[in-house]
Amino acid sequence: MIAKQEPKSFGEVFALLSRLYREEGAVNFLKLCFTLGKTPTPAGRWWMWSSILTVAAFLFVMYQLVFVGHSSFNTSSDGVNWGMAISTYVFFALISSGLTMIASLAMVFGFKQFYPVAKRCIFLAIITLASGFAVLALELGHPFRMLWAMPTGMQVMSPMFWMGVFYSIDLVLLFIKFYLLWQEDWDSPLSKFVGAASFVAVILASGMLGLVFGSMVMRPMWYGPFTSIYFMLTAALCGAAAIVVTTYMAYGFDRRNMGPHLRELAEGADLPKVFATLIGITLVMFLTRFWVGLWSNLDGMDGFHALVRTPLFHVELWLGLVVPFVMMLSPGMQTKMSHQMTAAFLVLGAMFINRYEFIIGGQLVPMFKGMWAASLLPYEPSATEWALTVMGIGMSLALYALGEKLFHLSAVPPTLLETEDRPAYA
Amino acid sequence: MAKWGMVIDLEKCVGCQACTVACGMENTRLPGEHWQDVIFFQEGEYPNTELKWFPRPCMHCENPSCVAVCPVRATYKTEEGQVLVDWERCIGCKYCMIACPYGVRFYTEEKPRYGGPDVKAVFKSGDARSWDPPWRAPQEDWRHGVGVQPHDVVSKCTFCYHRVSKAPKGTADLDPQNPALREFTPACVVTCPTGARFFGDLSNPHSEVNKQIAYKNGVRLLDHLGNKPQVYYLTGEGGSVPAERASKLKV
Ligand code: SF4
Ligand code: SF4
Ligand code: SF4
Repeated sequence: MIAKQEPKSFGEVFALLSRLYREEGAVNFLKLCFTLGKTPTPAGRWWMWSSILTVAAFLFVMYQLVFVGHSSFNTSSDGVNWGMAISTYVFFALISSGLTMIASLAMVFGFKQFYPVAKRCIFLAIITLASGFAVLALELGHPFRMLWAMPTGMQVMSPMFWMGVFYSIDLVLLFIKFYLLWQEDWDSPLSKFVGAASFVAVILASGMLGLVFGSMVMRPMWYGPFTSIYFMLTAALCGAAAIVVTTYMAYGFDRRNMGPHLRELAEGADLPKVFATLIGITLVMFLTRFWVGLWSNLDGMDGFHALVRTPLFHVELWLGLVVPFVMMLSPGMQTKMSHQMTAAFLVLGAMFINRYEFIIGGQLVPMFKGMWAASLLPYEPSATEWALTVMGIGMSLALYALGEKLFHLSAVPPTLLETEDRPAYA
Repeated sequence: MAKWGMVIDLEKCVGCQACTVACGMENTRLPGEHWQDVIFFQEGEYPNTELKWFPRPCMHCENPSCVAVCPVRATYKTEEGQVLVDWERCIGCKYCMIACPYGVRFYTEEKPRYGGPDVKAVFKSGDARSWDPPWRAPQEDWRHGVGVQPHDVVSKCTFCYHRVSKAPKGTADLDPQNPALREFTPACVVTCPTGARFFGDLSNPHSEVNKQIAYKNGVRLLDHLGNKPQVYYLTGEGGSVPAERASKLKV
């Protein structure tokens, strides 16, 4: 379906698509769109199955929302107000922010060894943010109303207002940056400026997302400036894990398919070092947060005692953070592909649990419900909420496969590399 | 400009929930959607325990955190002090529910609170209202959160905006004993059989509410959070408000 060379402008894209359409006829054209090419490829299969998953989950959620409404969620006014949909949104939004931070290592801070993953990072940042927004839109009561009510309301006191502003700016800048990289513009002043601006935007956006929770003095499990820092730094960890997983995926889990620069990055000690440092920072923050939570007698902190008793907490801590930390630290394991992959997968799983535990856990103590509510609120996501999460994950996976097929995501600046560095995957 | 406030005398309150029912009727609430509720709580440990209670409407805070967090300014505070929700702006993000320290806000789209039957499904709405109650109060004003709300918004006690906003200017106290003022007085205040609830102008030094607060040491719930409720409690000898929001977990 796709020419050997990536089309270089929207004109070329449309020309290519319409030529295909004319040559193949409507039915075959649709079939091609579905399988991404005449010969089956891993990316094509990946795209097909994850699209099916996404569409199925989406249809289920829409059916529930149309016929049952948001009462198909297990959230409640007397219980947990923000459920798994919000934690899924936070999970995706922070992966996106983290990916932009990793891309900035090369594009803003000049660590050239990270160039080979920069374009993939930017693409992934766009699609994870889009997935997060899609989940959020289906959680909100009136998502479209936001479009006029936010600009006309201008409630500058609201952390959520600023979160919306900064994430929108972030998304626009990511699109511009990706367009520039598509045009192979790596280091014009404009490209440099957009890179720097999107780094600033992403720090503000992830920090502001932290403040949505951190400003809430009436929710002591969230309260404090620490929450903002916690979100930024764990975002970086998520970004690192996501890029390790997807880069190996792109090369069919075989380093021999990689170009020399990427291989150097994958085989060297820099990547695991960055990764281990980020896991280490997260562990320290995680443990200090729980220490304060368990130690303090403050009203409203009781949720921490409940959290440490759940198996999820221990899966997250030991399997999701400690094991990968040891793997990425030990010289014998840190450069092996299988260990890097395992560590990255475990960290992503741990961070999904982390967002869930953070959002739900912070609401476990009821707000003045007296004996009408349990002293700790029960909550379990409903089928609709699970479907929404599956939809978000499916959407990211599908768009990723599409991007891998359509764009040259492993591109590096021409100054860095003469040889072709195209993944075997696409 | 008046600054409306409420005083609840816990020595007089018998926990009968008449206010809760009156509010539900006046404002056409769903079962369980208690804009006003009497919260029961337990003090002490067996065998030395006591069951206590206090009625809890919206506090119409002086520094309302729910207003500050609302990203679209759907929740706002009027010049006379009522904190209201504009149902034509609300996007249903529920941030205000997260940010209200007193748990007084309700999202429309939820499972029935008492395990069914789902009254909204039984009395299905054919229009923009979220349900079509067999009987509903005549007033409707969505910009001020009055009436049966539309789908997917947040609702809360309005300090009976539809009544109080029509009170003659300069009224110091809305005393339900006074036939001339009765129809402007909040339903829960009118109904209270022991006369435990007072409603008046906190900015008027001569109002009854101010006197009660001054002479009987009015306290506010969770005052350390800084929201500064405009609902005061008189605890006297028999009543108390809890210092904590939920009964403590045994560790
Ligand atoms: S009690 Fe809650 S809803 Fe009412 S004004 Fe205060 S913060 Fe807002
Ligand atoms: S749910 Fe409605 S009133 Fe509450 S913060 Fe969101 S938009 Fe504002
Ligand atoms: S003031 Fe009106 S809306 Fe508020 S609790 Fe009383 S009856 Fe209900």
